[in-house]
Formats: sequence, C-alpha cells, structure tokens
Amino acid sequence: MDTVAAVDPERLQQEALAAVAAASTLAELDEARVQYLGRRSALKLALRDVRDRETGMTLNAVREAVEAAFAAREEDLRRAELEERLATERVDVTLPAGLVGQRKLRPRGTLHPSTLVRREVEDIFLGLGYEIVDGREVETTRYNFDALGFPEWHPARSPRDTLYLGDETVLRTETSPAQIHKMESQRPPIYMVSIGRVYRRDDITATRYPIFHQFEGLAIDDGITMADLKGTLLYVMRELYGPEREVRFRTHYFPFTEPSMEPDVSCFNCGGAGCAICKHSGWIEMGGSGIVDPYLYEFVGWGLEEYSGFAFGMGVERTAQLRYGIGDIRAFWENDLRFLRQFR
Amino acid sequence: MKVPLSWLREYVRVDATTAEIAEALSVGSAEVEGVARVGVQGEPGLFRVGHVVEAAKHPDADRLQLTSVDVGEDRPYSIVCGAWNFGAGAKVAVALPGATLPDGLVLERRKLRGKVSEGMILAEDELDLGGDHSGIIVLDDALEPGTPLADVLPLADEVLDLEPTGNRPDLFSVYGVAREVAALLGGELLPMPGSDPQQDGDEAVGIGIDDPEGCLRFIGRLLRDVTVGEAPLWLKGRLRRSGVRAISNVVDVTNYVMLALGSPLHAYDLDLLHGGLVARRARKGEKVRTLDGVERTLSAEDLVIADGERAVGLAGIMGGEETEVSSGTQSVLLEAANFEPVGILRSSERHSLRTEGSNRWEKGVDPYVAGQAATYATQLLVELSGARWTGAEDVQAELPKPAVIRLRPERASELIGLEVAAEEQSEILGRLGFKELKSGFRVPTWRARDVTREVDLIEEVARFKLADIPFTLPRREAMFGRLSRDQRLRRQVEDVLVGAGYGEVYTPTFVADGDLRLPEPLSAEAAALRAVLYASLLDPARRNADAGAGDVALFEIARTYHDVGGELPEEHWHVAGVADGGFAEAKWAVEQVYAALGIEPGYERTSEPFLHPGKAARTAEGWLGELHPAVLDGTWSAFELDLDALAEAAPQVVAFAEVSPYPEVRQDLAFVVDEDVPAAEVLAAIREAAGGLLRELEVFDEYRGEQIGEGKRSLAFRAAFGSLEGTLTDEDVAPVRASIVDALATRFDAVLRA
Ligand SMILES: [Zn+2]
Repeated sequence: MDTVAAVDPERLQQEALAAVAAASTLAELDEARVQYLGRRSALKLALRDVRDRETGMTLNAVREAVEAAFAAREEDLRRAELEERLATERVDVTLPAGLVGQRKLRPRGTLHPSTLVRREVEDIFLGLGYEIVDGREVETTRYNFDALGFPEWHPARSPRDTLYLGDETVLRTETSPAQIHKMESQRPPIYMVSIGRVYRRDDITATRYPIFHQFEGLAIDDGITMADLKGTLLYVMRELYGPEREVRFRTHYFPFTEPSMEPDVSCFNCGGAGCAICKHSGWIEMGGSGIVDPYLYEFVGWGLEEYSGFAFGMGVERTAQLRYGIGDIRAFWENDLRFLRQFR
Repeated sequence: MKVPLSWLREYVRVDATTAEIAEALSVGSAEVEGVARVGVQGEPGLFRVGHVVEAAKHPDADRLQLTSVDVGEDRPYSIVCGAWNFGAGAKVAVALPGATLPDGLVLERRKLRGKVSEGMILAEDELDLGGDHSGIIVLDDALEPGTPLADVLPLADEVLDLEPTGNRPDLFSVYGVAREVAALLGGELLPMPGSDPQQDGDEAVGIGIDDPEGCLRFIGRLLRDVTVGEAPLWLKGRLRRSGVRAISNVVDVTNYVMLALGSPLHAYDLDLLHGGLVARRARKGEKVRTLDGVERTLSAEDLVIADGERAVGLAGIMGGEETEVSSGTQSVLLEAANFEPVGILRSSERHSLRTEGSNRWEKGVDPYVAGQAATYATQLLVELSGARWTGAEDVQAELPKPAVIRLRPERASELIGLEVAAEEQSEILGRLGFKELKSGFRVPTWRARDVTREVDLIEEVARFKLADIPFTLPRREAMFGRLSRDQRLRRQVEDVLVGAGYGEVYTPTFVADGDLRLPEPLSAEAAALRAVLYASLLDPARRNADAGAGDVALFEIARTYHDVGGELPEEHWHVAGVADGGFAEAKWAVEQVYAALGIEPGYERTSEPFLHPGKAARTAEGWLGELHPAVLDGTWSAFELDLDALAEAAPQVVAFAEVSPYPEVRQDLAFVVDEDVPAAEVLAAIREAAGGLLRELEVFDEYRGEQIGEGKRSLAFRAAFGSLEGTLTDEDVAPVRASIVDALATRFDAVLRA
C-alpha cells in the first residue's frame, strides 16, 4: 500500500489536534502520541516513504504542528497534575511548627559582613553619644542636591551618574539628605550618623557596584572645630583599625563642606612603610570630610554663624574590605554561602 | 593633569625634591595619582651627539646604511642604520652599546647582515619624544660630537599625575601648579612665560562677541608668512609627556600654551575664512564638521565661532575641519578667548565630545589670563614658524571684578581649632596671590569662582595648616547615643534568624519589573524598585543549592518601595527568608520572630500564586508558606514580614502577671474535629470557655486514623489551671472542663476523646 497516498495531511492534522485536546491525563496523551507520532504511525510512515519535495514539506509542517501541540498539552497536563497533587497536600497552617511537618536542625546562621561592620560603626558612635538615623532612600533632588550645595552643573546631577526615578526624584547618592531632614526637625546640638544604601550609576566591577552602604556623621553644636573632626576621626579609626593608627587630612573639595578634607588613616598592614594595600604611600584613603558649609544653615533657615559643625562620610563595604581583606566588592552581593559563612 | 617636572621647574625655583613636591601638593592642593619616570632611565652618558663621518649603503642589505660616526671617542664607531634622511656630515643622536632605551631595550654590539653595529642612531620615538619613525633625529650642525645628548634633548623627566578637584581650574596648567608649589614650599614663582614680539603690520582682525553671556572675551591675532612644519623636539617632547599628541608647529603651539597657562587657544587658516569671526549661538539645525571628522547638527544653545557665512567651530570644544590649519597654510588667525563654563559643559554633553579645551572651560578659566596666552602663543609662532605678527584685537564683555573679602583671623583660628597668628594668615594668603587691602583680601582672578566668602579664605589658610591641627573631641553638654526602637528591633530580628539557622544576604534593590520603574534602568534585570524581598532571595538560594551548599536558609532585611501616588514612594522595612525544606521551616522561623518581639500572631490560610496552595498562611504583618514548586524547584519554604508593622504590633511594655505560689492542675484534652477546623480556632474557643483559671494552653498533638474517621482529626491540648487564692483540685477544674467540652461541641461538633 502507498503510505503517502494513504495520508490526507489536512485531515490527519485535524484529527491529531483533536486527540491532543481530548487527552485529559498524561497517560491518555502518551497513547495519542504513539498513535499519531509513533514509529508506526501513518504520518511517520508517510514521511519515511515520501519522495516529492512539496509533499514532504507539507507532511513535515503537519509533524511540527502536531509535535508542538503535544508539547504544549503535556506542559498543561503536568501543571494540572502538579496542582492536583498540591491540592491534596494540605496542612493546618495554624498548628505550631513542631506539628506541621519535618524541620531540620540547622547550624547557626551568620550575619553579612556589611552588617557586622555596620553594627560596629553604630556601636562606636553610640558610645560617642551619636544617634543613628536611617533616612529614606528615594529622595527629591531638592534634598539630595540643592540643599547640599551641589551647583546646577555638578556632574552628580547628571542621569549618567545618578539613578533618577522621576524628574525630581532620585535614589540618594549619599546619606546626607537625612542630615538635612534632621536639621529641619530640630536645632543643635545634633550628633548623628546616617547609614544605609546609596546609589550611583556605575558598571559592576571588582571595585564598583551601583549600590553600596555609607555611614555619614554630622556634628553641629557651639564652637565645633576642624580639630574636633580630626580627633573624632582618630578615635573612630583607632576603634576600627587598631590603637596605633594615625590620621591625617588632605585638602579636597565637596559641595557641602568648607573647608573640605579627605582623611587618611595610617596603613594597618605595613604601619606606614608602604605596601600594596596602601598603594605604597603608608596611608589609606577613608572617604570625605569637612566643616559644614554655612550654605546648609542658610538652607534650613539658621544664622550663618549661630553654630558650627563637621561632617564626614565613609563606605561600609570599603571598611569591611579593609577590615577583612576582601579584594573584590562583588563578593558582598554574590551571596555565596561559602563566603558568607566565614563571618562569625 | 600631567605635569613634567622639568617644565614645572622652569616656572618655580624651589629647594625640594620631586617627592617633596608631590607630597606637598597631595596634602595641600590636589590628589597626586603618581609620579612617573619617563624617557631614558639608565646611564645618560651613553647617549651622545654623533657626527656622521661616512655613510654608504650596506654592502649586503639594500635598505640599510653603513655609517661611521664620531661619538667623541678616540675612534669612530661603526653603526648600521635603517634611515635614509641623512648622510655624511650630519649631526645625529646616538646611543652606544650598554645604553637602555626608554622602552627597556638594552643595546649591544651586534652584527647586522655581517657588519658590526656599535649602537644606534636614534629616531624621536626611540627616545619617547615624539611619534615619528620615518627618519632619525637630525641635530644642529654646530654641536660638537661627543656632547652628552642630555644637554641637547630632554632625555629623561618625571611626570606628576595630578587630579585637581573641580573647584581648582587654575591647577589645570603647569604655571598654576608652579604657583601652588611656590606657595606651599616657599619657592620663588617666576613671571608668566611669553612676551610679545615686534608687531609687523597693523591689519584689522575683525572679531566680535555676539553673545556676551557665553563669551566674555575674544582675542584675535593675525600671523602671516607662516611655515607649517614640525615643532621642535623639546616642545613635542613636553606635549607627549603631558599626554597631548603632536600635530604641527602651529597646532602644537596652541596646545603647549594651553598646558602652560591653562587658557585653551585655537588657530584658523585665515585664507579659508570668509570675513571675520564672531562668537554667537548656533542657528537651530546649523551644521559644522568638527576636526574629528564628525558632522554635528547644532542646537540653539550651542555657542559657536562663526565667520561671515557659517559656523567654523564649536566654541571652546573643537574647531571645524574646513578651516583647519594644514601643511599649506600661510596665514593664521589665532584665537584666545574666555567662555562661560556651564554652556560649554552642556554642549560638550550634548555632543558627547570632551576635549582638553572643554575640560578646562567647563571648570571656569580665568578671563584675565587669555591676554598672556595670546602673547605667549604669538611669540612661539613667530619663533617656531617664521611668521610675521600683523594684527591684533581684544574684544571684551564686562569681565568680573575681583572680589574683596573680609577675614577675621580669630574666626579662622576658631573654626580651624588652632591658633594661627593673623600675620601668618596674611602671609599664606599673600603667597597664594590674595592681595591684602584695608577692606579685606582681594581674590586673585584665577580663584574668583571658588573663593567668594570668608569661609573660603579660611579654607585657604587651613589647607596650609592641616598637619598642625590638634586632635580634640567636641565639648558636649548633651549626650544621647541610643539606637531607636526600630533599629533595636531590626537587630533583634537579625539575631533571631541567625539563631534559627538563617544566613544573612544582601540583594540588589532592583528587579526587572514593578510599579516604580527607572526611566533609565541600569539593565533589563535592574529596571524597577522592588516591592517585595523574597523574590530576590530565590536566585541566591538556587545558586547556593546548585553549588552543593547544605542547609540553605537565607534572610534579608531591607527596604521595599511602594507607589502610593505621592511625590515619593513609601519605603517599608521588610524581612524575608527562603529555606530548603517544607512549610514547618518557615513556620518555625516566623514563630521565633514573633516570640522574640512578644507578639501573639494570628495565622490564617491564604493563597498566593507563588505559594503551595495547601501550605500558605498569612498573619497581620506578612505571609509564610511552602514555595510553589514552579517558583523554585524542589521543596522550599519562604516568608516575608513587614518590620514596620511588626514594630507597631510589638508591645512597648511587658504585661506581667503574678505567679501563683500554689501548684497548678495540668490536664490533657483531645478532641475530634472536622479536618478543616483550624487548631487556632479551637484554641481560641477553649481560652474563651475556660475563663480566669486557665494559665497555659497549647496544642501538642495532631492525629488521624481509622478510629477517628474519614475527614476528621484529633487535636490534643495541654492546659494548666491555677489560682492566686489557693490550690485547685480536680473538682475545681471539672466545671471549667465541662464548659470547654460544651463550647467545642456547640461550635465545632467536637467530640472529647476518652
Ligand atoms: Zn601599607
């Protein structure tokens, strides 16, 4: 018998699709599959024997359509069977954990290294009589830039550097907006550390990640001086990196401080002799600092010389990197338990 | 900003080593990224002026010359050379065997095609003075053979890599850095380089300012009989070491003066201009093809330099290709100018075009330095291209007048926290170019943008005293260091979950999709702010499991973001966890959290598309359950709670009840109830029925079996009864027990098991 002539492609396809639709269990579907796509099925036999190109193409198109229908139906049925099975597995969710199934005896978990550092920083400043402020992460450009004295042309205002959510809302680029909110809510004395996630538009590399954590201190009171800033940073750096550490200032520029300085801490690895960690300078850059620019007082409506204050900012991840010797900043976000479980 | 030390020391006499200069700058002025040694590193005595005594084709190589060179020794040296731009009689630069070239190659005596070569006749690229390798360096005929080459060419140098902050445009010039070094280290600053040569003619230049906001000053100078060629090696060498490519003597002079004085210049081929030049805003849609060959369509905000017919350059950023100086140029119009920074910055952003020029303009260049830049460039063009200077014009809008600022020396000492004598403050400011007047200090023009207030003057004083500032702590009158309640609660939850076996993770704030989309996402996966945390934990859970980690249980405490229609989204702290294992895992973790916070949670069955339909519960503060296998392959559980809501629910004070001195009566009660009656409801009903004597109550067993019946289960409770009045007997408890049994029978058809 001529296997090719025996097949009416259009009708075969209709029949097969109808059989697929009719199968209500995986077993029925398998039966239909043998019938329409099995080795001895009319379609397969015809495909084996077909000689002319046009008929071959037609038959192949039928085969593809039927196979696709089987696959889709199988997925549906599997999902339905899964749902059916799940529906039979019911627990009384109000029972205590001990009565609703097996539970593992797990070894103690660990805190993330950034949390360890965050807590340590918080505790150091709590000891110095500072309060810890979280602040919000989505801020208006008014608080993130205007209030902090960022000029209109400052590159940080560009969407190339900063993540905008709306025309005038951004993911904070530093935790300083929390300081402005604090200044608006109360008069000095203010001693606070804002700490949390900040955002910059950076590519992910070993040294940069678009999200990181900052801690920023602000002290505003009567007669605060650069010496107070230097002494505070010395205390904090010694708490973090050891009692032998020294601190020095290098002049710098930040929109919200004047004078502005970058604090360096003497290298804890080589003691100042020079090594790879301190890039052979004996000093490690820690962040930014300075005397609060009177512009901020003007912004919140205080007199320009009623108070004086200092501010500084540093990175939590960078601190953790230095503390634990972590080379690649991506490790903080990869969440590999083999890494995380070492921080006890 | 790369600063060759040999150049710097031309402008400042100072008794300090390079390292001392770098250190002083990095502390007092701007970050020093490094100091590079460039050029010849080894023994300089092996580099000499040579006199070519004989030169002929190498007998066995068509492309090589065989030369005999007098290098000041008792015999001529035989050197094989591949260049042909010289012959016998030329003075050349020679490196002898043993010399180390800047690229590290150590020369040796060796045979080239059978002939001994004792050294090398050098091309400029081999000395790292230029990029040219088409021929060797031909030196001045007047030089004596054997003269150290270092006397003739800048063989070696050190280059400071300086990173000035945006407020110090003056440090983007060698002279500006020299001024700073002189002030920091007490050196002598020499006058600015450049003096006008004799003017030879008085042609009109024809320049104008059409937009005085964008262009404050426009100087034009005409130079005739220009011979365009290569700049001398000393100049090319300095450009190269400053990171600027040499192009031709005319263009190189404009770049050299920009690096020296900080004011960018441009040279036009005068014969290609149609009439004079004007600084104006572009016409919308106007086009200009810049020197990089890109045709740029201008916007009405772009400032251009235009001749009578068209724009011939993007002002301050890049000149136009059509009027570029080329080898055939004979007449040059030299432009020195001053452009307003923000406009240049915006244009440079708009056209994604950053140049040495735009980089300086956008920070604010001193308009007063333009005149000296024009002078110095004119001098060099006359000297180096044989030009005649035939015309000059200097058009100025109103230049800013230098500010005079009052300084209270005691205020400075007060803010610095260090007593700095008034005289010393004056002296520091004087060294920096601030002029002391009766009414205060007059700010030098090159610092006008940065120094506008007294506190800015104080910074100038302070940066010279940074090392002397003592270490003190604020003298506080009030102390208030304590974590807020929310912060303490977060720490508590962290600790509870760690104790329950969960490891803390930090996952990104961003997800692929959500209500709060970033208009310019970081990537397809980081396009919106997340409203839930658990979804971010799925990937780390899967990856850790795939990596073979056992006991995978992860948690995170972070913010979630919720669009509520206001200007800013609401931010809620959440805690979420994902753990391998079934429903009991999540239940246990959530119970621990609630117990730690002293909250009595109510659990209710719930359904979520990502949760197992029969193993999902919610509380007032969140949800927990087994994950749907389609969400994460295998058996996993998860939970997510709103920490702000938990803080709200957590009692602020402990409600404590007196402990009875009398023993309690403990009784177990088991009831058979319908399968779908939740244990929690039965518990609540027992509590309600039991009244005041009930001290403790818990469910301790669930049982199904044949004797219980299909669709039913038995729940066993343990109750403790007690009283502050006296010891209870079973008889005292019997009525309570009876009312419990009654109540459960009525409400749930519950039957007490014997
Ligand atoms: Zn070191």
